Amino acid sequence: MKTLIVIKKQEYEWLLDLFPGVHPLLLPICNKPFIEFFVDFSIFTGSNAIRIVSDGPLRDVERYCENGSRWGVEISYGSMLPADELHSVIDKNRRFCQEERVVIISGFLFIHYDKKSDYASLFASLPSGELFSCGRGSISLTGTPVVETNTTTGASPFSLTALDSVGKYYRLSMDILKNGLTRYVLPGYSSESDCYIGRNVVIPKSAEIKKPVIIGNNVQILSNSVIDKNSVIGSNVIIDRESVISGSIVMDNTYIGEHLEVKDKIAAGNLLIDPESGTTIVMEDPHLLTSMAQSKVAGTLLRRVVHALAATLLIILQFLPWFLLRPILGIQGNWKRDKGQYHTGLPGKAFTMTKTTIGNNGPLCAIAKALSLDRFPLLFRVLSGKLLLIGSQPVLINPATRVIPNSMSGYRPGVFSYAEAEDWPEIGIDTEIVEHYYAVHGNPLKDIAMTQKALFNRTH
Amino acid sequence: MNISEKNINSYTILSLQGILNASSAPQLKTYIAGLPDAQSIVVDLENVEFLDSSGLGALVGIARRKKTSNAVIKLARMNERVKKVFEITQAYTLFDIYDDVSAAAEA
Repeated sequence: MKTLIVIKKQEYEWLLDLFPGVHPLLLPICNKPFIEFFVDFSIFTGSNAIRIVSDGPLRDVERYCENGSRWGVEISYGSMLPADELHSVIDKNRRFCQEERVVIISGFLFIHYDKKSDYASLFASLPSGELFSCGRGSISLTGTPVVETNTTTGASPFSLTALDSVGKYYRLSMDILKNGLTRYVLPGYSSESDCYIGRNVVIPKSAEIKKPVIIGNNVQILSNSVIDKNSVIGSNVIIDRESVISGSIVMDNTYIGEHLEVKDKIAAGNLLIDPESGTTIVMEDPHLLTSMAQSKVAGTLLRRVVHALAATLLIILQFLPWFLLRPILGIQGNWKRDKGQYHTGLPGKAFTMTKTTIGNNGPLCAIAKALSLDRFPLLFRVLSGKLLLIGSQPVLINPATRVIPNSMSGYRPGVFSYAEAEDWPEIGIDTEIVEHYYAVHGNPLKDIAMTQKALFNRTH
Repeated sequence: MNISEKNINSYTILSLQGILNASSAPQLKTYIAGLPDAQSIVVDLENVEFLDSSGLGALVGIARRKKTSNAVIKLARMNERVKKVFEITQAYTLFDIYDDVSAAAEA
């Protein structure tokens, strides 16, 4: 038996803004990443190989699940196009789907199963075709039954819930917490029923914990705090003193300030979400609620230093020609400036930048273009750390142009762009492809070489 | 880089072997330029040992040209190294990708 998991990006897009930086397949449900429920279920059906197929990025999922050796199964990954129907996806994965029976899970849905049920015998005997459907997804089987027995079970041994709103996500978590803790394999130490506690959890004597409760790893609960019943506390969480968490989900890397009462809510970083109305409140005061994610500034320090040095060199080389040509081109009307708001590398932040365009009239314009003098004013932005010397093409804040997602996926605006260096078309997806490539494969020395290439390409 | 060619149904199957980078990308472009514009192709990537941004650029460029000629380019049997580049760059959004050459040539 094998399992093919097919999930389209549009099915989980609603989650991307709600929990930025968390791949929806890694969204914790009772502190267990969503994908692990699929993996567990696949293993219970007797699958020894799982393939996860999506039209969205799977890099984070792949980094987490790797090749599946942790679960004793072989996990592989595939891609599809947004318009692909299920039969096309099966065709695209024909080599995977042939020879053995395949359980096909299609849709961003939660499978309510029971770890004590014998799904392997059930799935081996069921006929091929669609087994269950919940409108937003389905489970189906291919191939002929291995075991020729007539399995007639009374109640269905599993059911499906489409995860299509934050309310459903919350209710599902609460349902598992109240009624289904014994049905699933959940993380944490459980010395008594309805209580799962992770590693490195500090609970002072004055704090009160009421079950059912799930607490992740590296959690500090400070004095006189109350974790009331029906609460899920993620990993790397601090609950400051005299706060009360009740019927709520506190996501990973969240700090809850002191004297706060969080009731029937989802707290994620500095967001407080009301699951019933879907209303999200952004908490500006870091003493109340904040994200504890680490800054990545230190990792880019070397790159910034190298870029600043190279930018200084370029400023020295370009200063004299810029000083001589700029006034003349300005008088001729061949030096056009356009001010705009551009995305920075940080979600929701913007910076103002003036882009220069040199006209096409006469030899002076040709010289100025060949020397990339239009970029000269921007080089100072490299010294101030606003821009890289080479990076992504700066994207204007304009709904009509390319949208930079919250995850940013490696977007770092530069004076020169990788697309210029590689001579790729500087439009939409093509630019993004080359920028994504260098977001992973780039390094400071390569950046210098790419800047040279960009300068060369601009002159030809 | 070695390029071998065979035909299945109405598709020309190009099996690439070796490194697809800045130095070998022009070879692939020239080879495909020698085929009729309207010829749909399947590129078998199982034996591509390395793919960089220039190689990827060649495939994207070919895809663009095929699209304007109403022809199709499909990719098949990506190995893990190649798959990783497509995943990083999200270039999979531009291609039909199959794990089997004959399935690609039938669909």
